[in-house]
Amino acid sequence: MKNKFVNILVPLISVLLAFVIGCVVMAALGANPFVALQALWTGAFGSMRNVGTTLARSTPLIFTGLCACFAYRCGVFNLGGEGQFIIGAVVCCFIATRSGLEGPAAIVLCLAAGALAGGLWAAIPGVLKIYRGQNEMIISIMLNYVATLFMGVVYTNWLRDGTVPQTAPVPDATKLSRLFGLRVTTAFILALVTGFLIYYFLFYTSKGFQLRAVGLNMTAAQFNGFAVKRYILMSFIVSGAIAGLGGSADLMGTQYRLINGYASGYGFDGVAMALIGQLHPLATILVAIFFAVLRVGSTTMQAATGVPTSVSDIIQALVIVFTVAGLAMVRLPQFKAATARMFAKKEAM
Amino acid sequence: MDSAFITNLILASVRMATPLIFLSLAELYSQRAGLVHIGLEGLAAIGSLAGFLVSLITGNPLLGVLAGAAVGILVNMIYAYATVNLCAEQIVYGMAINIFAPALAAFIYRVYFGAGSELVQVGLMTTLSALLGVTSDNFVVRLLLDQTPMVYLAYGLVIFTAVYFNKTKSGLNYKAVGEYPKAAATLGINVVGVKYAASVICGALAGIGGAYLTTCYSTTYTDGNVAGRGFIALAAVIFGRWSAGGVLLACLFFGFCDALQIRLQVGSYGIPYQFFQMIPYIATVVVLTVIGMKKAGPKGVGKPYLREQR
Amino acid sequence: MKKIFALILTLAMVLSLAACGGGNSGSGSSGDGGATPPAGGSSDGKTYKVAMICDSSISDGGWGMACYNAMVDAAAKYGWETEVSDSIAQSAYYESIVAFCDLGYDLIYAPGNQYTDAILQAAEEYPDIAFALLNGGADTPAKAANSNVTSLLPDSQQVGWIAGILAGLMTETGKVAFIGGMEIDTTKGKYAGFVESAEYVGQQEGKTVEALDVVYSGDFSASDKGIEFAKAMMDQGADVFFGDASAVDSGARQAIDEANAAAGSVKVYDIAQPGDFLGQNECIIGSQVTDNSGLVGLCMEAVENGTFGGETIFGTMQNGVLSCGKLSDLVPADVQEKYNSYISQVMDGTFMQ
Repeated sequence: MKNKFVNILVPLISVLLAFVIGCVVMAALGANPFVALQALWTGAFGSMRNVGTTLARSTPLIFTGLCACFAYRCGVFNLGGEGQFIIGAVVCCFIATRSGLEGPAAIVLCLAAGALAGGLWAAIPGVLKIYRGQNEMIISIMLNYVATLFMGVVYTNWLRDGTVPQTAPVPDATKLSRLFGLRVTTAFILALVTGFLIYYFLFYTSKGFQLRAVGLNMTAAQFNGFAVKRYILMSFIVSGAIAGLGGSADLMGTQYRLINGYASGYGFDGVAMALIGQLHPLATILVAIFFAVLRVGSTTMQAATGVPTSVSDIIQALVIVFTVAGLAMVRLPQFKAATARMFAKKEAM
Repeated sequence: MDSAFITNLILASVRMATPLIFLSLAELYSQRAGLVHIGLEGLAAIGSLAGFLVSLITGNPLLGVLAGAAVGILVNMIYAYATVNLCAEQIVYGMAINIFAPALAAFIYRVYFGAGSELVQVGLMTTLSALLGVTSDNFVVRLLLDQTPMVYLAYGLVIFTAVYFNKTKSGLNYKAVGEYPKAAATLGINVVGVKYAASVICGALAGIGGAYLTTCYSTTYTDGNVAGRGFIALAAVIFGRWSAGGVLLACLFFGFCDALQIRLQVGSYGIPYQFFQMIPYIATVVVLTVIGMKKAGPKGVGKPYLREQR
Repeated sequence: MKKIFALILTLAMVLSLAACGGGNSGSGSSGDGGATPPAGGSSDGKTYKVAMICDSSISDGGWGMACYNAMVDAAAKYGWETEVSDSIAQSAYYESIVAFCDLGYDLIYAPGNQYTDAILQAAEEYPDIAFALLNGGADTPAKAANSNVTSLLPDSQQVGWIAGILAGLMTETGKVAFIGGMEIDTTKGKYAGFVESAEYVGQQEGKTVEALDVVYSGDFSASDKGIEFAKAMMDQGADVFFGDASAVDSGARQAIDEANAAAGSVKVYDIAQPGDFLGQNECIIGSQVTDNSGLVGLCMEAVENGTFGGETIFGTMQNGVLSCGKLSDLVPADVQEKYNSYISQVMDGTFMQ
């Protein structure tokens, strides 16, 4: 109980701290911090439309967050969420714009193909890790760049359409339907469902239990006869598939076409969200939504106060800096001992 | 493919490799102490701004380089404190620095120069040949003398690093921290101290690498001028198998790829330029695959060191 | 310990602010600077507001800066308030636009065709707000359901001509070069105009002029790539440069200046755009000037009169949006004369006929 309380308290304090610093900076620039905070709120929640925008913004982040979360649960670091997301979107774009298929069948095919492509892309670091003993973090970072550049080839050369480097939009019939006419689409529902499925798999199935066991202590799991290598490879493929699914869902949901700068930063965002969410799928979803609130809100905040855009970037970075440091701190043995002493004293009194 | 093409290609490769050498050495020192650092991009960004501002204000590019180093160290202390003392996830901290430091740099530039002002240009460091008054079109003279002092510093640091890690006791102790921190601690090595020293060196070198861009390379500062070099440096360290000499070769190779990509585009061979830009990343993956796990990096990389658990 | 750490960080940031902000207060916050409208700026006493979104920095010494200055100049003329969001990520285009819509801005100004999707989406949701898309597609306004989108489209062929004529006249090696940022159609159009006019003018002057193939840096911020491109192209013999890549262009100019300094005299030239940048670098011999502020001004006027929307405003030499900047002394008097006569041919539509 105490643990859970701390796990919620630390992020809250961290966010508060980050905003205090942000407000000091804004005040120093001559902007009114209260106006800024109010704008942040209205930007994210001011109207139904804004809520829709916020949820739409959270959708890709949920997918990459879940992608990172799933792999971490098996003890492997998949930093390639961005590349897997992009490859999923690229494959989806190929099929949606070139196959001529339309309607629900096309949507399902696109989603499945995106997931498959993401899974295969993630299998590369997975295979290299188990057969060649390679560091999966480095490989997956390198593959992010390859994927981004590959997407560049696709939208500047192969599938270019229009006066700037970009592809044609996916046909109307393959666009995901909006919820209540807002910007948020069924992709968001898909993200939630994916999150719940992962939660169920990890905590209510024996395979999920074994996967977590591998993540907690690889040597012990091996000793107990678990097929560790298989779990590692599977966790890579599944986590890549989640990201790839996210890529195709986001492409058909809100993005519609590949263009320069698409998906930039989503992978690392996902890693941060999974860690702040303590590697719990449902918590990761909440954190992703919170970050979307922060992003959408800070856009309005910047617009309303006229401070440079970099201020909102700084605040968001500080949220990560403080939260992750705070969460690490409360796990330190010294800290645990200190709090235990404190609680013991209180009880004694 | 005439000889001028080749000599110019080599000169360009050396030019483009230099910032990579500083950044890769920064990464090497960090990883050798068990700290994997993906935040060099951010450290270089803030270093490049500091270098630009200070050399603009003082008119002395050398002071700019020093400022870049100082700011790099300062920002890297966030990383050091969080990863060494709090045992926070190193990857996430590197990433947080990649978001934080460039935003801070962009912010300071905007606040200092205002919006939509004139383009600000700064004088660059003079080359050795200019100092000596040598002008020659000879390739060897240009390669050896037509360079800023920072280039010599970079190569000097490579030699120093190779000697330090392989021939000195202190260097061996340093490496032990990255391999088996607990064993190192039992031998009386101050593990936390080494990790902090590593972070200071890493911050300084990364800051210098960034400052090089604005004091020796380009006369202007633009947001995003580091342009992925931090990650290329990460690749160079692995590509170079965590040794100073290997890292140097990797940097030269990546510099060569970059220079070649530019020249192939000018020669227009019709291949999308993105494919050339992929070379460093694909090469890293391929080389790692071929070499396999034998003599991989420091074993303690990425793992937190908890004193209580020894 | 964490508190101390946070405190130090706050302190450091505030100090750096105090140190930096002291000299030029007010210019930091991008909006308020140009905000005070002159009296009687608009007829009904309402102060109109315009907001710009931009994916590059407005301090980039190129495209972003020129577009921002265009807005500020136009706003000063018509008495509007301005605001800007720059360096925004692709995923935030729509949100940034909507943020300004919600804040009651009258005109949203987006310099670049990459914002088309986001603008059209927002234009559908906010029928009462005017949207101006600089370099937007000629067919984009027709796609807006509420006809509240206007494309501002400087004639890229004429832009290329203005530079290409000068390049054709000034080249001695017979090779001219062009550095592009991204493979955007307007950039391609500028390159095409640059090539055809340089070749044509060379022919008229009795010399063969050819253009090196266009190169693309892939972004607009990598000044180091500009340096390397310019060096590689000078190795190929190019001696007059033109470009469309913001900060990359300034890198190219730096490399050209260095080469000229090494050679002892200015032998390689650069032509700048979209503002008059004569004097910024030694190698700049002239500029192609695009009066984006005039285009933005036309939008403001239309908004004030309630006539905004649904059109594509082309910018040409004829309507004064495109013009030539001042020529440097490096251009001999007789060449200046020839240049002016070619330009007047462009003006009356007889160039290359």
